[in-house]
Amino acid sequence: MRESKHKVGLIFFPAFDWAISPDHPEREERLLYTRDQIMEEGLFDIPGIEEFRPAIASDAQINRTHICVPSTSEVITESHRIAAGGTITAADLVLNGEVDRSFALLRPPGHHAMRVVHGSRGFCVVNNEAIMVEHIRHTYGPNLRIAIVDTDAHHGDGTQDIFYNDPGVLHISLHQDGRTLYPGSGFMNERGGPAAYGQTINVPLPPGTGDEGILYVLEHLVLPILAEFEPDVIVNAAGQDNHYTDPLTNMNFTAQGYARLTELLSPDIVVLEGGYSIEGALPYVNAGLILALAGLDYSAAREPDWSEDKVKQSPRVTEAVKGIVGQLQRMWSTRHDVDLGAVFGTGRVFERRRQIYYDTDGIMEEQLEHIRLCPNCSGWRSIYSGATRGLGRATLIAAVLIPWHCCPQCRREAENRHDANAAESRFRHVYLQDVEKDVFIGS
Amino acid sequence: MYIIGIDVGGTNTDVALIKDDVVVATGKVPTDHDNLAESTAAALECILDTYSGQESLKLHLSTTLCTNTIIEGKGEPTAVLAVPGPGMRIEDLGLGFAVQILEGSVDHRGREVAGISISEVHDALKAASAEGTAALAIVGKFSHRNPAQELAIEEVAKNAYPEFRHITLGHRLSGRPNFPRRLSTSYLNAGVAKTQARFVDMIQRVMVRGKDIGPVFVLKADGGTMTLEDSLIRPVETILSGPAASIMGARALTAYPKENAVIVDIGGTTTDIAVQIGGEAVFQRQGAEIAGHRTLVPALFARSIGLGGDSEIRVLSEEADSGTARLEIGPKRAGIPAALGGSRATPTDAAVTLGLASIGDVERARKAVAIIGVELGYGIEEAARAIIDAFTNKLTKEIEDTYAYLESRPVYTVSELLASPDIRPKAIIGLGGPAHVFIPKAAEAIGLAWEVLPRYQEANAIGSGASRPTAAVTLHADTALGTITVPEMDYVGKLRTKRLFDLEKARTDARQWAYKKGRSLGITSLEDIVIIEEESFNMVRGFYTTGRIFTIRAQVRPDVRRVRAAKIGGRSQ
Repeated sequence: MRESKHKVGLIFFPAFDWAISPDHPEREERLLYTRDQIMEEGLFDIPGIEEFRPAIASDAQINRTHICVPSTSEVITESHRIAAGGTITAADLVLNGEVDRSFALLRPPGHHAMRVVHGSRGFCVVNNEAIMVEHIRHTYGPNLRIAIVDTDAHHGDGTQDIFYNDPGVLHISLHQDGRTLYPGSGFMNERGGPAAYGQTINVPLPPGTGDEGILYVLEHLVLPILAEFEPDVIVNAAGQDNHYTDPLTNMNFTAQGYARLTELLSPDIVVLEGGYSIEGALPYVNAGLILALAGLDYSAAREPDWSEDKVKQSPRVTEAVKGIVGQLQRMWSTRHDVDLGAVFGTGRVFERRRQIYYDTDGIMEEQLEHIRLCPNCSGWRSIYSGATRGLGRATLIAAVLIPWHCCPQCRREAENRHDANAAESRFRHVYLQDVEKDVFIGS
Repeated sequence: MYIIGIDVGGTNTDVALIKDDVVVATGKVPTDHDNLAESTAAALECILDTYSGQESLKLHLSTTLCTNTIIEGKGEPTAVLAVPGPGMRIEDLGLGFAVQILEGSVDHRGREVAGISISEVHDALKAASAEGTAALAIVGKFSHRNPAQELAIEEVAKNAYPEFRHITLGHRLSGRPNFPRRLSTSYLNAGVAKTQARFVDMIQRVMVRGKDIGPVFVLKADGGTMTLEDSLIRPVETILSGPAASIMGARALTAYPKENAVIVDIGGTTTDIAVQIGGEAVFQRQGAEIAGHRTLVPALFARSIGLGGDSEIRVLSEEADSGTARLEIGPKRAGIPAALGGSRATPTDAAVTLGLASIGDVERARKAVAIIGVELGYGIEEAARAIIDAFTNKLTKEIEDTYAYLESRPVYTVSELLASPDIRPKAIIGLGGPAHVFIPKAAEAIGLAWEVLPRYQEANAIGSGASRPTAAVTLHADTALGTITVPEMDYVGKLRTKRLFDLEKARTDARQWAYKKGRSLGITSLEDIVIIEEESFNMVRGFYTTGRIFTIRAQVRPDVRRVRAAKIGGRSQ
């Protein structure tokens, strides 16, 4: 067999014995046809493509990213640990130099899981990429710059939430316009927190966007931004639900488009996110993606029912995409000129209040967050969160986050705040998450 | 009842006569590649003194014929017609043989997506025929899910082109996925069919004391047997049956038949490591590899490493931190041991030096080892011990690597990932000439029980005789489409009662098919059929369950006749 140009590590874990519920899109069957296709294509026989078993993520690894309420072991199942662990394996393979690129082709997905986790939202409980990013910084160096390009059709709101004030992470999400699709966010004006303003980039695409539009965004927006950000690691959160056959979205992307996207983006690590056209899309998208990742010819990897007419992008959509890209190009190039005082205020803290709905578990969360506006570091953060299940009473928790490269002043303030939180009886649970010292306290 | 086990190897033909569960005679003759019938008959002569001539007789034959034909590239020219549909480009598969690509396409559920063009099929067959090709392989992507397109092409070939005498269809060879391997397997099968047919013809004419030889069974790469008739249809399955015969011999003779054990066969050039888990041999994950071709032929797992009694010994430069010189053994062969007239020291010479083996000239061995000793700054005995230790270290590391590899083989369910079975060995089963020197030391280093089988030279012939039939089928049922296929049995059916077809029914059907396949091999009870893999998926479309998909693999329980080596008669030429 023709040897791959890039050595690819594949962590394939279809979790054939796990489902959210028997007829949920996130069920046993999801990667069955993908398995059938990649086995039949003989992709694992290609010299340079190797399959690896996923690791199982520990509480400590998950707690660097999440505040799970009440505790990590109580909100996740073993399959979540394996999905997160497999993503960590994907990172280790690349950063150890064992392979050039890796692909965590596994489920369940994670990009809707936010910092605080009360349950499952958007089929996600914990955020595989985010857990991996913290593993990378913890294991291979806190100064590594990481870019996440989320190409799932749904806004990567969880990943955005986790890194929105993190200067070490660039997060670009391409998705179907939030006015027309879950989770209803991901607009251009969501640009990141005070310490990482402009490093959250949202590209809301009109329904009907096809290969032409998405590749246009990639060439004219994503690649130039990446070139400027100079990441050490590029991660592709590769949802496959932009596909023209996906039952939950209205986009027109094809297997060829995904393969070309992969070729252009040249990601170090690819992580599967959503994608629920389990027969019409996933088998072909994944075959094309693996070939592209390996640097092999993918020109014959297409859907059996593909036709040009079926996936043609309308001129109206093309114009709209160009307009969005133009606007985002300007926003990127002028990001340093923005008066942050006008955006975040000039006080000691920036406050934001949000309501977060957990569609999968039917939970409503109310969240109040304070970010210390610190001139010396990205600032410690304080989160108060109350979650209500159905008509039940809210569970109120308090969390304090100490970021990477935290200044001594912020650290002192954060630790004092945690002690004060612990003394208050109204909080059912209090947490301290200190990524820099790798300490997590939950009680 | 008597069983004759024969292993026709590249150099020698080994034979063993087994009466009930006792090896009563063994023998050895040189293999005559130009006249295999004669050398096989000569091998039989070696042991027939011990055979009364009255009791029923059965012949188990392991032959290197197809293996050699493939390795030497002497198979018949074969036309390969492929229906790949979309996916990886055929030209990127690096198959090493030409493939004629045809229109048509079947998807992962076995639905026909694009039809074949009969006129294109005619064109391809005409072109192949014009070149005088007599062997034909027809292979479709996903033909294990729906063989209709392969069958339609075969129909055209059979009706209009009788010049294709050997036609192989991909789906009949295996129910497993992997289109490139299906292509290679079919290509090889078609190419060796004529060779095997000639051999079968010769074997059928071999007489024992003026009588027919009785039923003949042929050994396969999975360590099991098939009928002589089946070997005409699936000759490719006989590849690598020689190494399989040795492994089966070890399993027939071992004192650890039901344990987890590692089988280590130390030869002159290589050491072969095979693995037994709970009394069953471990298989290659996808299939045998031969001469650069990856196949779907079920094969016993064996890791072959360049380490043996004749291996090259090299002294590596001193390691700065440890201050000790290191010895590297293998993977190249040095030649015959110095004790036997070779020019350089080998591990065998180290064993001879220490009195652990008595082979050839001790003085010559000592002299050769002394040269290594000078390089190391050691005396002769010390150098010999260092060589033995280096060999043992490499062997134990390879055993460890073998288990690490097997334990890292991917699994696709949460339950398998969390509860991996304990496959680690309790014992080393050693065979081969140098085994008695190295196996006890390796076992001690790892902390295992050990044995060295005494009759290692006949293990292959004994294993051939002690092997049992194997046969497997893959049943795939899709209740939404209402289809059921058993590709190995060439069966495609419709499910009449979709709603009633459940996992239990799928299992029952799969067992019945395996039983049907096993009956020609002498399987007389459904008890001997086991299910080795099963999958069952609910199919949900638009939030409603629309059907179920079942894939069940059932097989004749693989087994080995346990034998003991009593006082052995026979002779060698």
